[in-house]
Amino acid sequence: MKKVLLFVLVVALMFPLFAKGGVEAAGSSEGFKPAKDITWYCTSKPGGGSDIYTRAFSDAAVANGWLSKAPLINYKTDGAGEVGRNEVANTKQNADYTLLTFNSGDLMPMVANTPNRIRNFTPIAVMATDKQLLFINPEKAKYKTFADAVAAARTGTQIVIAGSKGDDIELYGMLIKELGLRENQMAYITNDSTADAIASGLGGHVDLVMSKPAAASEYVKAGMLIPILALSDSRFTGNLASAPTLHEIDARYNDVELPVWRGIVGPADMSQEAAKFYSDLAKKVSESKEWNEGYLMKNSLKSSFMDYQEAKAYMEKYEADYLKKIGK
Amino acid sequence: MSNFAMLFSGFSVVFSFQNVAVCLLGAVLGLIVGAMPGIGSLAGVALLLPLTYKFNPTTAIILLGSLYYSNMYGGSFSAILLNIPGDSPAVMTMLDGYPMAKQKGRPGQALFTSNFASFIGGTIGMIILTFLGPGLANVGLHFGPQDMTALLLVAMTSIGWLVGKNPTQGVILTMLGILLACIGMDPQTGAPRYNFGNMYLMGGIPFVPFVIGTVGFSQVLRLMSERKNTVSEEKIVNQKLTIRGSMLTGHDIRRLLPPAIRSGVLGTFVGVLPGAGATTGAFLGYAMNKAFKSEEPFGTGAIEGIASCEAANNAAAAGAFAPLLALGIPGSGTGAVLLGGLMMWGLNPGPLLFTNNPDFAWGLIASLFLANLLTLMISIGVIPFLIIILTVPIKVIIPVVLVICMVGSYANTYSMYGVVIMFVSGLVSYICEKSGYSTSPMLLSFVLAPLLENNMRKAFITSQGSVGIFFTSPISCVFMVILFVIMLSPVIRGVIKVGKKRLRPNK
Repeated sequence: MKKVLLFVLVVALMFPLFAKGGVEAAGSSEGFKPAKDITWYCTSKPGGGSDIYTRAFSDAAVANGWLSKAPLINYKTDGAGEVGRNEVANTKQNADYTLLTFNSGDLMPMVANTPNRIRNFTPIAVMATDKQLLFINPEKAKYKTFADAVAAARTGTQIVIAGSKGDDIELYGMLIKELGLRENQMAYITNDSTADAIASGLGGHVDLVMSKPAAASEYVKAGMLIPILALSDSRFTGNLASAPTLHEIDARYNDVELPVWRGIVGPADMSQEAAKFYSDLAKKVSESKEWNEGYLMKNSLKSSFMDYQEAKAYMEKYEADYLKKIGK
Repeated sequence: MSNFAMLFSGFSVVFSFQNVAVCLLGAVLGLIVGAMPGIGSLAGVALLLPLTYKFNPTTAIILLGSLYYSNMYGGSFSAILLNIPGDSPAVMTMLDGYPMAKQKGRPGQALFTSNFASFIGGTIGMIILTFLGPGLANVGLHFGPQDMTALLLVAMTSIGWLVGKNPTQGVILTMLGILLACIGMDPQTGAPRYNFGNMYLMGGIPFVPFVIGTVGFSQVLRLMSERKNTVSEEKIVNQKLTIRGSMLTGHDIRRLLPPAIRSGVLGTFVGVLPGAGATTGAFLGYAMNKAFKSEEPFGTGAIEGIASCEAANNAAAAGAFAPLLALGIPGSGTGAVLLGGLMMWGLNPGPLLFTNNPDFAWGLIASLFLANLLTLMISIGVIPFLIIILTVPIKVIIPVVLVICMVGSYANTYSMYGVVIMFVSGLVSYICEKSGYSTSPMLLSFVLAPLLENNMRKAFITSQGSVGIFFTSPISCVFMVILFVIMLSPVIRGVIKVGKKRLRPNK
């Protein structure tokens, strides 16, 4: 009798395991649908740019009933985010239920400083892109146009640009390369955030400030900053439209731009069905009112949705171009 | 309308039932978050932020602003009672707060000093913020990297007072602190340094787990090795566990007021500087007041010591709202999260906030006054309950402190990496202390070195490597003169002393 009871108990305890496997099996044959909690990795601290982006996505998905429950956000900031990215890349057990907020600003230090590559992830979507401009403080700037600043740099006066980390540094490198200037002719000061860079511009400690439209827009409205160069292949609109592109300033130069994208990836072991499900979800979110009005408009971002196949090709090319540029 | 009238209009916004209730809630939560080592205002505000998205923006900022502000009070509780700072500005409070509570047996008075000094510092900061806010924010902008470097060099001289009896040992640990602060990403190039291929070390050594380990876990090891059974061998609480028993005497208040007022003014100006924050404010407040006369030496449980850093950090927290509200520039990590909140609530932080949303900006400033008063009342009310901690037997205290150290380290980094850093730094610190090395210089240099390095490198990029930049800007020139005076004064005093001795035999 004891043995029978023991057998029944073991079977009863094992039943949920079979049940779980059954749901996953059903998911893989009939298209994926989340049957348990989704863990979403965020490699910045709560309240940071990546966190706001992740929460805006999650809120829009839940508000429209496309997800029954908000994903659990796991903040993994160790090793400047590399630990979190590595953990997602190597997730095997729960691959269909693991997502990572992944931006161009994450990709560049990752491939420069670690062996982790985009092939270790399953790209799901690119949701938005952003570009930068150069600004001057009209009250304190010695050079009122970008052409004046370049001319001064060529005649031996050092020009200092203040900007943020990651893609801003890369864009600065592309700019001086296109202009044929050296780092000591047009120097760059890295700040912890764009707000710090703007503060140094307002204080008159640097000649030029590099910023994305959202961070600078209120200062432009108040007349404290003026845009003098659009780091893009076309002019911006609204109160930033006065800034010419590099090619417009001097036809000898090509336009310089480094679109900053915000995307989502999963582990390499994520199934195609799951990747398709999350990609379709991202498309619905990208078209929702909550996302467009509550996130893109507030942050002056451009919607540029790419599904999981387009995102894969885009991220791989971005990585290859960057690796080539840094000689890796 | 004058600023005074605008402040009153702000009070009319704050004194609705809903806003007073959230201000009270923020004050209570801030005290709890501040008192729990490792969590701090940044995590507290960030965790509460998503819950406020549906709130009216003014109500939301009142909740978060009062939480941020009252956190500065709470940080000193565990620093005074357990020798573990609740947040980074409380590191300096620990230097005098813990000796006053333990060695002098006056924990109630130590807490009262901290609370009262916080109130004075905060009030000074808020008055300056009200009348000079936007103008002060513009003054802060004039501080360039060369000026911040010179200011931080002056702050670094305070390490000289903490090196203990053996200056060589003090210098060794100062250098160790600087070296440890260099681990992680290079602040200018973004390249990893001294990580030895370890992915975790790429992000550097997190400050809070490092401090918790250095002072908290090393203390656990010391208590375990000393095998004491009760606290009676140190000095048991020799006062009644009541508010009256914890009150300061008239003489104590006379000792507290001058450093608190000086630090209140200094702290406000430090808070206004972009990137300086409450921690730098506390360090500078302590360093400045050490130059003044005090009844007892700093670092031995002096009331002046607690008052100088507590008033400075609360004033800096109030001052940090000036660039945030007037220019949209956050002075600290918490300020950056509040800025994110402003955008989520549909406001546009920046130079037009005071003009476009006066109700919001002045409502927040008025709520800080209210939060300051509410927090003072609550924190004085809980003193008798807090000092009961000191009567708990050591065999109970050890596991409790150990759990606090582990939870605090984990909560700060959201990973076991923080816990590992806490254990390692605690062990190293314990060995250092057993060998007669004081670890305070290491902590101070670890905090100040990254700020100093970043600003110094920015200054050298601007000047193309010329040291002359520190003498061409009037602000940095003044700080450099102060630095040389501080550095040379012992030498000059020594020369004068020798000169006098030589003159005596001739008489």
